[in-house]
Amino acid sequence: MLKDQMTPLERAKALAKGELVDRIQCNPNLSNGIARVHGCKISAFNHSGRTLADAVISTHKRFFTDGAKIFTDLFTLSEAMGAKMKFPDDDTVDLLEPAIKDISQIHMLEPVNPYKDDRLPIHIEAMKYVQDEIGHEVPCTALIVGPFTSAFFLIGVEKMTKLMIRNPEAVHKLCEISLKSCINFADAAMKQGVGISIAEPMSSCTVVSPKHFREYAVPYLSKFVDFIKSKVNGVSIHICGKTEGIWTDIADMGINAFSVDNVVDLRKCVETIGDRVKIMGHVDPSSVMYAGTREEVRRATIDCVKQAYKCPKGYGIMSGCGLPVETPIQNIDAMIDTAREIGYPVTDDKLEYLLSFEKYKD
Amino acid sequence: MTILQKELLHELSNSVVEMDDERTTELAEQYVENKFDVYEGIANGLAHGMDRAGKLYEEEEYYIPELLMCSDVMYAGLDVLKPHLDYASTANKHKAVVGVVEGDTHDIGKNLFKIMLETTGFEVIDLGRDVPPIDFVNKAKEVGASVIGLSTLMTTTMDNMAVVIELLKKENIRDDVVVLVGGGPISQSYADKIGADGYAPEASAAARLAKELVKELKKSA
Repeated sequence: MLKDQMTPLERAKALAKGELVDRIQCNPNLSNGIARVHGCKISAFNHSGRTLADAVISTHKRFFTDGAKIFTDLFTLSEAMGAKMKFPDDDTVDLLEPAIKDISQIHMLEPVNPYKDDRLPIHIEAMKYVQDEIGHEVPCTALIVGPFTSAFFLIGVEKMTKLMIRNPEAVHKLCEISLKSCINFADAAMKQGVGISIAEPMSSCTVVSPKHFREYAVPYLSKFVDFIKSKVNGVSIHICGKTEGIWTDIADMGINAFSVDNVVDLRKCVETIGDRVKIMGHVDPSSVMYAGTREEVRRATIDCVKQAYKCPKGYGIMSGCGLPVETPIQNIDAMIDTAREIGYPVTDDKLEYLLSFEKYKD
Repeated sequence: MTILQKELLHELSNSVVEMDDERTTELAEQYVENKFDVYEGIANGLAHGMDRAGKLYEEEEYYIPELLMCSDVMYAGLDVLKPHLDYASTANKHKAVVGVVEGDTHDIGKNLFKIMLETTGFEVIDLGRDVPPIDFVNKAKEVGASVIGLSTLMTTTMDNMAVVIELLKKENIRDDVVVLVGGGPISQSYADKIGADGYAPEASAAARLAKELVKELKKSA
């Protein structure tokens, strides 16, 4: 395996100043696969901030990628507002029942207390350990599910989507409460020293129309972004699925980095908002990272870089969504090693050269 | 077909597309009062509208909320028409077992697939969500299903689709049934990798594919 010359934090700082670095940034985007790297069960994260932090730290030490992320599943905030969860022994936590059955019960919802409610204190504790122990060499972030998506889990996905057409006022009320929870949690997270990334899968144009996104998601998301940016330098967002219809909205909100799914046109995304937003992502998490060979991972990675490295605000290698838990470790190695192979600065000739031969023969 | 029936079918289709449940119920009642062929009312009225909604979704005119509203409206119309259905005319339907694989409780895609399958003429047994792999196999055996439809929206649970296919092989019924997979993280290459018979990126295309594949399956049997 190739070696890095800089720590991820040194690299990030140098890039921000426009200085030379050792290689292009790369963040494979592991989700609960960090349990596999660390050698624990996923359910251990439901009980111990120490174990969650250790898994994040083990993953950092295993791959030396460009970010350390504290995240387990989409439901930590909605659970803390009363949604019921399913806790599998060794799989990702999932929504069992939304917090309320009907909009008439909305008075039962309260914004979260991040130091008390359900699993939030465990996450806050993990953030503190991670930041204290590896924050000097890698940017650490809490990935927080945004106000619009969290609102879906308060009343249930189907009910929420219908309310968007039948009862706009109810949707606004749910998003309002959800936003307060996001702010409370992000505030506590930033007090531990970590940065914030937002996940907003339900904002995707695969789910809702750009019109509904503007009506229901933007007002709350932009307040959340403003809050985060009042405390720290920047914020990134991930939205799964199709997003082309909302690219300019994302840039207009002042979001600094945007990670895109593999279903979007990466080149076009860079052309459209790359002068305002750093772009990341696009390597297919399922057919390439999970199901592909190492050479397929290498080629897909180089291909993404080819499409996006000229992005004025920069491009970072990343998979298009959180990696499946059982993604082969050697494929994650192949992705980060490809980043090292590409090195810095990136040129068309170098990428063509790398594509001209096969590195992995399996 | 009388002009009135044609008009009503057209209007039923429109009212589904326009998400107007009251209008759909009214039209369906009027349709029944006139003793028009109910099966036609479903296929060329309500389902026609749902099919158009599906196309609007493919064209990115409609999104999931609009599609769900249309399906609600279609079901409201079905509630009126179904009791008047002459079941003899719809006998010998192929059966399809559908569900969301274990570990995933998101069922939007599966519900749409179910509706589309029903409107293409399948009898659908819906196992719901978070379904253990063995339940698909047992149910398919029990009812003699021609299709198993597996859905997931999560990368974390898609491995369970492969488990279902392995179990079908173990039970020696893999060749008797068409296995379709779908959902956000699923792709054609994933379907190929686990040995599924088909994949389509959205529900109405998947239902059309199911119909074709079952036709081939029955021909070769």
